Amino acid sequence: MRTKILLDEEEMPKRWYNVAADLLTPLDPPLHPQTGEPLKPEDLEMIFPKGLIRQEMSMERWIEIPDEVRDILRLWRPTPLFRAHRLEEHLKTPAKIYYKYEGVSPAGSHKPNTAVPQAYYNMKEGIERIATETGAGQWGSALSMATSFFELECRVYMVRASFDQKPYRKSIMQVWGAECVASPSELTNAGRMILKEHPDTGGSLGIAISEAVEDAATHDNTNYALGSVLNHVLLHQTVEGQELKAQLAIVDDYPDVIYGCVGGGSNFPGMVFPFVPDKLKENKEIRMVACEPSACPTLTKGLFTYDFGDTARLTPLLKMYTLGHDFIPPSIHAGGLRYHGDAPLLCNLVHDRVIEAMSFHQNEVFKAAVTFARTEGILPAPEASHALKPAIDDAIACKKTGEEKTIVISLSGHGHFDLSSYDAYFAGNLVDYEYPEELVKQSLAKVPKF
Amino acid sequence: MIPLKKVGFLVNPIAGMGGAVGLKGTDGLAAEAVARGAVPVSPRRAEIALAELSGVDALFLTAGGDMGESALRKSGQRYQVVYRPPQEPTAEDTQKASSTFIEEGVDLIVFCGGDGTARDVSEVAGLQAPIIGIPAGVKMQSGVFAVSPKAAGELVRGYLEEGLLIRETEIVDVDEEKYRAGTLDTKIYGIAATPYKPALVQERKQIYSSRNEEEFKEEIAVFASEFMRDGSAYILGAGTTTAKIAELLGAEKTLLGVDVIQNGRTICRDASERDLLRVIDDEGRAKIIVSPIGAQGFVLGRGSQQISPEVLRRAGPENLIIVATPHKLKETPHLLVDTGDQKLDETISGRRQVICGYRIAQLKDVEASSRVGMDQSGSF
Repeated sequence: MRTKILLDEEEMPKRWYNVAADLLTPLDPPLHPQTGEPLKPEDLEMIFPKGLIRQEMSMERWIEIPDEVRDILRLWRPTPLFRAHRLEEHLKTPAKIYYKYEGVSPAGSHKPNTAVPQAYYNMKEGIERIATETGAGQWGSALSMATSFFELECRVYMVRASFDQKPYRKSIMQVWGAECVASPSELTNAGRMILKEHPDTGGSLGIAISEAVEDAATHDNTNYALGSVLNHVLLHQTVEGQELKAQLAIVDDYPDVIYGCVGGGSNFPGMVFPFVPDKLKENKEIRMVACEPSACPTLTKGLFTYDFGDTARLTPLLKMYTLGHDFIPPSIHAGGLRYHGDAPLLCNLVHDRVIEAMSFHQNEVFKAAVTFARTEGILPAPEASHALKPAIDDAIACKKTGEEKTIVISLSGHGHFDLSSYDAYFAGNLVDYEYPEELVKQSLAKVPKF
Repeated sequence: MIPLKKVGFLVNPIAGMGGAVGLKGTDGLAAEAVARGAVPVSPRRAEIALAELSGVDALFLTAGGDMGESALRKSGQRYQVVYRPPQEPTAEDTQKASSTFIEEGVDLIVFCGGDGTARDVSEVAGLQAPIIGIPAGVKMQSGVFAVSPKAAGELVRGYLEEGLLIRETEIVDVDEEKYRAGTLDTKIYGIAATPYKPALVQERKQIYSSRNEEEFKEEIAVFASEFMRDGSAYILGAGTTTAKIAELLGAEKTLLGVDVIQNGRTICRDASERDLLRVIDDEGRAKIIVSPIGAQGFVLGRGSQQISPEVLRRAGPENLIIVATPHKLKETPHLLVDTGDQKLDETISGRRQVICGYRIAQLKDVEASSRVGMDQSGSF
């Protein structure tokens, strides 16, 4: 009975897979926030290096991973694929449950997969400093590590709700040489404006993005980096799905369904995009299910339209599912999933029904997380646990049908910084939030369109 | 130098005596309660609260004898008697003492009693000074009460030393005469200001930071003002949260009554059940917005009797929108309905969305109070 399915270092992918080449409907272009015209590459040069802008706009199916990047990814990649024998036994399911675990990276999540190449391309083009935002702290930690490898300075604007909740995130960023400040902060115009109106706000990813973009635009030799949403980020994450495919091939298996959590989109797309051509071109019957919180149900209840990526309307307009750039999601414990929009590539595939989406309440998610920790040992991050919930439900349903379904969970990170959230769960203090969809639709019906 | 804080302190010596001997309130029945063998409970409760305040730097202003002086003397606090009741203390004395406190410019009024006492104090104090109630009555549905005498003491200390936030809350009471006759008729008698340590305090960093409850009322109101643009007639129940919605729309609203707003204008003020039925008939439909009232989380049936079973049935239970701040939701384990029609109560109960912020709702259990039982629903 094999538990860990491992690849050799040399089997680590040498290319990134670009799903833009295989979409059913071409991607709608990002629009300039002031003119509303499609964005030109030079519009992005103020805050991104050319190497990444090329990837952002590329239509090539495969893009080489630089050796310098692979040498660093080698520190934790390829990541293990586990067969969850103990969870299966606990659930008494005929289903085969696998989980691909990205929590083995030094930063504890999948985020370094893109942090490293992003830092690399910035370094290559002579950038000395990077500004970014972080929700739960995973991205900030990952970029802090990556910038330290390439000797860049880094400032991280961390959503205040998470900053207060997980003080050790700041500590770990400091160890890697980065500066972490609570957002909204007094350091930017965007932050000061929000603080004036809401001095006690817990902040949001949308606000933190505004701050980081402003920081990059107003500091010399400083660029901005984003840990989700953008095409090049999703591209970098495709090492996950490529490995998963190779690992399942070793045990002669193939997923019937893959579950992964979605905040802005990076881990889940990275895991499933390499399977998209299988479904579209080879007619493989694979379900790819994006799992999001009911408190911030972008893909399941949002509108598919152009919207800003941030609160202050500094970013380009992206065609995506959105709850509105002015929506500040409630402070749920899966801080990394509190984003009003989602990656355009992912939204395109959801809209074309290639990928599905489901949403879950935090209490049921934590319940699944505890079941997982007590059977498989790993303490999952609250974000990642959104994928555990439907996977467990699915496996239980297989008991009735007798189906030996192959269920794959994309387990994006560990929850060692989230223990206060687990405490709150056990104390019965977690609130199940909802998005009042009908009333929101009613209110949007009479709102003038942008 | 910071001026010494002044605290008005008042005990209703007969509060709570009726409860133990089955009188459901002691108004006008102190002699009867004593005859039935009741012993005073409030002085002891006042002492427990005061015990939490040793070392606090404040001057207590109080009324003579059992109305506060005796308890303060035992506690060793610095105090000054500013009012003396001419004989056995009555509701009038509570009001007179409170009025003296306000004249003296107290920073806070602390009283020990029940809903009746809360009414007397708040009628005089209005919003001029915040009020904290030490629970000692038979009924304590008003929002000014701390959960226990000890908690009241902690709240007073918190307010004096840390400057807790203030919120507005409803003063609620039942008509004791009717209640003894078997009818429960709760009314909102006024609005008081009260300091609060959010029940969220242990996890405030995680969930809401230290955000003010009033901000959430504002958020709810902004959201409501958006979805209320659909042209429907909206029946707004009583309370401070629904009042905020009207305020934001610039529409007139009776704080303690039920009003109907359509397209941002009040089309029916302080509506009776008949008015509401007429509006529904005229418009063909209406939506209802209510908020939990007082400390027990009643959304229907207490305080807004005008929104009767008939009104609810004609508007359709699916058009009932419940709004409440996260703070209030945290304090009440579940929301209660008691329309007087058990079948309707059961239709409305279950897991329901409660709007608690801008485009944010919580899932909350709504229960028919007949099923919960009177004892659990509060201090009855």
